[in-house]
Amino acid sequence: MKTVAFILITLVSGAIAGTILGLINQILVEPYIDQAIAIEVQNTVASGESVDVDELVQYRLWQKGGEIVAGTILGTSISALFGIVYIYSRDSLPGSNNKKKGLILAGIMFFVIFLIPALKYPANPPAVGDPETIEYRESLYTTMLVISGFAALGVAILYRSLGQTRRESRKIIVPTVYAVIIALAFVVLPANPDEIIISSNLLMNFRIVSAITMGIFWGILGILLGSFWDIVKPHETRATKLRTI
Amino acid sequence: MSSVNAQIVKESSGLPKIAVGILLAILLFGMFIVGYDQGQLFSLVEGQKAFDDLWMHEFYHDLRHAAGFPCH
Ligand SMILES: [Zn+2]
Repeated sequence: MKTVAFILITLVSGAIAGTILGLINQILVEPYIDQAIAIEVQNTVASGESVDVDELVQYRLWQKGGEIVAGTILGTSISALFGIVYIYSRDSLPGSNNKKKGLILAGIMFFVIFLIPALKYPANPPAVGDPETIEYRESLYTTMLVISGFAALGVAILYRSLGQTRRESRKIIVPTVYAVIIALAFVVLPANPDEIIISSNLLMNFRIVSAITMGIFWGILGILLGSFWDIVKPHETRATKLRTI
Repeated sequence: MSSVNAQIVKESSGLPKIAVGILLAILLFGMFIVGYDQGQLFSLVEGQKAFDDLWMHEFYHDLRHAAGFPCH
């Protein structure tokens, strides 16, 4: 195992994929965030407060720059998890090369870490959340994220241990166990407490582009790490031995 | 007497525990500052001011929404 090379290609893949996420969001997601913020500004003005438009424009530019930095950081941190999972699952993943294996694992992790939590607690644009409930909503979202992640880890271990005795039926058993855990979590966990006061059109469009750009991020991450892996081959250890005959 | 260089290519999938630890630390730290921080990190040096400024929340704000984290 070339550990340092592995860590480097993992984090570089994540930093690149995350930066691209921040850049794509400028085009795909920002129009909806700007619309939502315009609603907030209208509400502020309607309540009698004044809004400095020049200042707001500058502030929004600063935040859009922050979105790209945040993409780099989030991409790097998610790739750290992706790299660990990739090492332990590479032999079990289908696919003839690491690029395909990476893409398949990225698809699974997009589903487990993003899509499932988002189906229970969907992304919301500004103008929706109540700042008073942020900690409560964070704890709900995190609980869903952790349940989905650990359920997936659990069924992956189960899948492996059933390899000897139930080679075929495990392909049905394992997804079923995961689905039951997620269904239970969906029923037991309370709903997002915040009232939605913006148009359902804006809300749905925002959620859809959010899922699309996160999907693109995961896809790029998987392909990049797989490509670097095929070049660097961090799983091989070269030992040069000098033999005297 | 002659010497032979033999290159042995070994495959191993074991990741040193220290590497797992470093990567998990990066995961938690990055997720926290982008998705969760409400002033906690800067409050270590700035005190109460950090909770009023919410610098990280504001700077990472748009991605926090776009990546599905709770916000506002
Ligand atoms: Zn917000």
